[in-house]
Amino acid sequence: MDFELSQDHKVLRDSVRDFVEKEIKPIARRIDEEHMIPDELVAKMGQMGLLGSYLPEEYGGAGMDMLSYAIVVEEVSRACGSSGVLISAHTSLCSGPIYSFGSEAQKRKWLPALNSGQIIGCFLLTEPDAGSDCGAISTSFTRDGDHYVITGSKIFITNGGYRGTGVLFATSDKNLKHKGISAFIVDLTSPGVEILKNEQKLGIRGSYTTAFALDQVRVPAENLLGREGEGFKIAMDTLNGGRIGIASQALGIAQGAFERALAYSKERKQFGAPICDLQAIQFKLADMYARIETSRLITYKAAWLKAAGRSYILESALCKMMASEAATFVTKEALQIHGGYGYICDYEVERMFRDAKITEIYEGTNEVQRVIISKLLLG
Amino acid sequence: MKALLIGESKEGKLLESSYELFGFAAKLGAETAMLLIGGEADLPSYGGTLYLADSGKYGEYNPDLHKKLVLAAVEREKPDYVVFLHSSYGWDLAPRVAASLKVAQLSEVISVVEGGFELPCCSQKMRRTVKPATPVAVLTLQAGAFAAVNPGGTPQLQRIDVEGAGGVTFLGYEAAEAKGVDLAKAEVIVSAGRGIGKMENIPVIAALAKALGGELGASRPVVDSGWVPHGHQVGTTGQTVSPKLYVACGISGAIQHLAGMKKSGFIVAINKDKDAPIGEVADVLVVADVMQFVPTLTAKLAK
Amino acid sequence: MKILVCIKQVPDMESRFKPDSAGVWFSETDLAFRMNEYDEYAVEQAVRLKEQLGGEPELTVLSIGPDRVVEAMKKALAMGCDRGVQVQDPSPHLKDPFQIASIIAAYAKDQQFDLVFTGLQSQDRGSAQVGVTVAELLNFACASTIIKFEYADGIVTVKRELEGGVKGIVKLKTPAVVTCQLGLNVPRYPTLPNIMKAKKKEILVIPVGDLLHEQPLAQTATFYAPAKKGTGVVLEGDVADQAERLIAILKEKTAVLR
Repeated sequence: MDFELSQDHKVLRDSVRDFVEKEIKPIARRIDEEHMIPDELVAKMGQMGLLGSYLPEEYGGAGMDMLSYAIVVEEVSRACGSSGVLISAHTSLCSGPIYSFGSEAQKRKWLPALNSGQIIGCFLLTEPDAGSDCGAISTSFTRDGDHYVITGSKIFITNGGYRGTGVLFATSDKNLKHKGISAFIVDLTSPGVEILKNEQKLGIRGSYTTAFALDQVRVPAENLLGREGEGFKIAMDTLNGGRIGIASQALGIAQGAFERALAYSKERKQFGAPICDLQAIQFKLADMYARIETSRLITYKAAWLKAAGRSYILESALCKMMASEAATFVTKEALQIHGGYGYICDYEVERMFRDAKITEIYEGTNEVQRVIISKLLLG
Repeated sequence: MKALLIGESKEGKLLESSYELFGFAAKLGAETAMLLIGGEADLPSYGGTLYLADSGKYGEYNPDLHKKLVLAAVEREKPDYVVFLHSSYGWDLAPRVAASLKVAQLSEVISVVEGGFELPCCSQKMRRTVKPATPVAVLTLQAGAFAAVNPGGTPQLQRIDVEGAGGVTFLGYEAAEAKGVDLAKAEVIVSAGRGIGKMENIPVIAALAKALGGELGASRPVVDSGWVPHGHQVGTTGQTVSPKLYVACGISGAIQHLAGMKKSGFIVAINKDKDAPIGEVADVLVVADVMQFVPTLTAKLAK
Repeated sequence: MKILVCIKQVPDMESRFKPDSAGVWFSETDLAFRMNEYDEYAVEQAVRLKEQLGGEPELTVLSIGPDRVVEAMKKALAMGCDRGVQVQDPSPHLKDPFQIASIIAAYAKDQQFDLVFTGLQSQDRGSAQVGVTVAELLNFACASTIIKFEYADGIVTVKRELEGGVKGIVKLKTPAVVTCQLGLNVPRYPTLPNIMKAKKKEILVIPVGDLLHEQPLAQTATFYAPAKKGTGVVLEGDVADQAERLIAILKEKTAVLR
């Protein structure tokens, strides 16, 4: 068992890090303050290949492995949590299911533009009355000749504001519960797709969190993803993979905050010595590092299992749960280590503190993760 | 012990920096001879043997022929050291001479030590002492490391000529970009270095410059990144300045930058790295994050 | 056309350096390595030349050192080099610049390269000798310190960066060596698809003993940190406090503030 990153992974990590240092880090604060990621940056990320990292080359992806994807999301999130989730939701939740469940024709039609970043993808599952209980969605579809017609509403859709491509879930009959759900590939510029709002949030402010209204949206029949009634299974499978992305985002946020806290503790002098000489601070640093390092290992394991085609549901729930809780812990401690300065926007650690929280909530709350884990443990 | 000093000239005029070669020779305690590819109209004030080659004939930059001239002088003088300045001329020519003679070259000498020489390394952060293992050694001297010495006198000229063409053709000089900003006259300069983080932070440094009644300067990386125009660059490839007060913000202290400002009256460096080389020349080193400290200082100056 | 670009892997210059056990170079413990910054400009220019010529030239990247240097070579391959040559050497730092140049020349001598790109100097040793020495050994034309590069039909036209912001315009015919100064171009980021493509590119490994036939011409006696001059005042602590103290010093020591 080799716990060392391969040379190729190191080359990837260093390349992405260089890109992030020059292109993302200097504007991370502005992204948060202006609540948006500049289009030029999205285009640059596309040119770098960050938006199709683990999708195969034949569909315009970079053809890398899941571990590479995790590295990409972590490195980006280290500077900017909003940019990290853009990549994660786009890749895992939109390109991912199209690749895993799409027909050859669908893959060829939709993936190249997504992989190049020309179009940004999203995942439309959550509704006002269906969050953790995603089997209870109400957005409905009917068949009309060679089209499906979809009506309903979706909220909290990451990347929705780009009006790109969406993998959307709707039900033909609520009585069938999750068996009635189907998945569709939707061009979000279609008539009937209306953006109601982009939410104002506590954190990841540069990320679009969009509410949609869908009014008789006509979707060609060939846009059905998988078979009718397979939608719930597609959603669950997709979220499994998405958890690796979110865990990586959380790790990046945590790592960025930790590094700032470590550096600050060496520079900040009180009572005649740097505060890192104080055991209270030392213990915080040790605890922070321990949580990041262990969460990273389980995240890498989940990525490794998925890449090997092995079952990874347990590990993906674990990594999302552990990394997100590591992120909220680490950012809280990092802010504390900065003392009063931690509260000041100039120091950026407060943004990381705000960005971290959502990782415990989306793509399956940590409560849901615990349900998954205990179910698997108890058989 | 004998040192053959390789002087520098430009368009027939002797460069002042050539006198640092004599300063070095004095420190070494060596006899000297000099080779100069230059003009008869502007010879060094030096009483020793001067091998003079006409720069009109041999060109401003013709390394193959200049190398041959140096080798011819070496043949005649049989020196222990062939000494160049570590300049765009010296570091280009010295290795050619060293390779032809198959002798050691020690680059950017800072000082003379027992049996050898002290050179900088790790981007000026560290030092090493090196001993040549050949009977003759080629040296290049760090700019300003050896104080210029004017030996005085009139050179005993020896003509020197070589044959050949050379593989490189010099097409001419291109003047430096128009300055716009005359840092040479400024009494106060506040310079921005890479440590300020991003282009958007330049106004913060400019604001401090204004608060102190001075001009904005910059280190090379900042100019290369396009954050400020070249006219603000301080250093060997920019302007050499000596204001009463020089404030270096987020500048590590690369030798090329130091060369451009170390003669300033009073030097303040702001850098979060306590070990940054700029600390060597700074009268005051403020260990702080530039972007935290500078606005605070500017605000207090306004009061 | 055949192009060679020579790169060196150096430690991150932000690191704290400590002498190794032999006391003649830095200890590698805890150091992160990366491609020498000057060499990034060299690789970028070589790749641009290849692109200018429609991809026809074969571009080889060479580096000397232990297996960790392959990481830097992979970056060069991902930037656009076609193939790599690793001269495997566990201790390249013990070879002086002449030996390093002779290794490169020994490799290059029957390869018929038209152009060789190197960085002006390495960030760690900084001798600025290897590129020019390679040219001498191969009997190639050479210009150092280039900040502009143009090529057409066997003629290389460059601008050398001189003191005071002046540039010298120089023309040379291939085969030639050019050494690259910072700011020559803007090195590209290796994109993910190109990093993947780089994995398939050949890296030939040659043991250094096959190419090194020269003795060192100089010896490093010691390696150390310079003594702190200690003449300057160091201000640490709270930012507001530092500002007050600095203002007081400036009032006292300079005529700048009244």
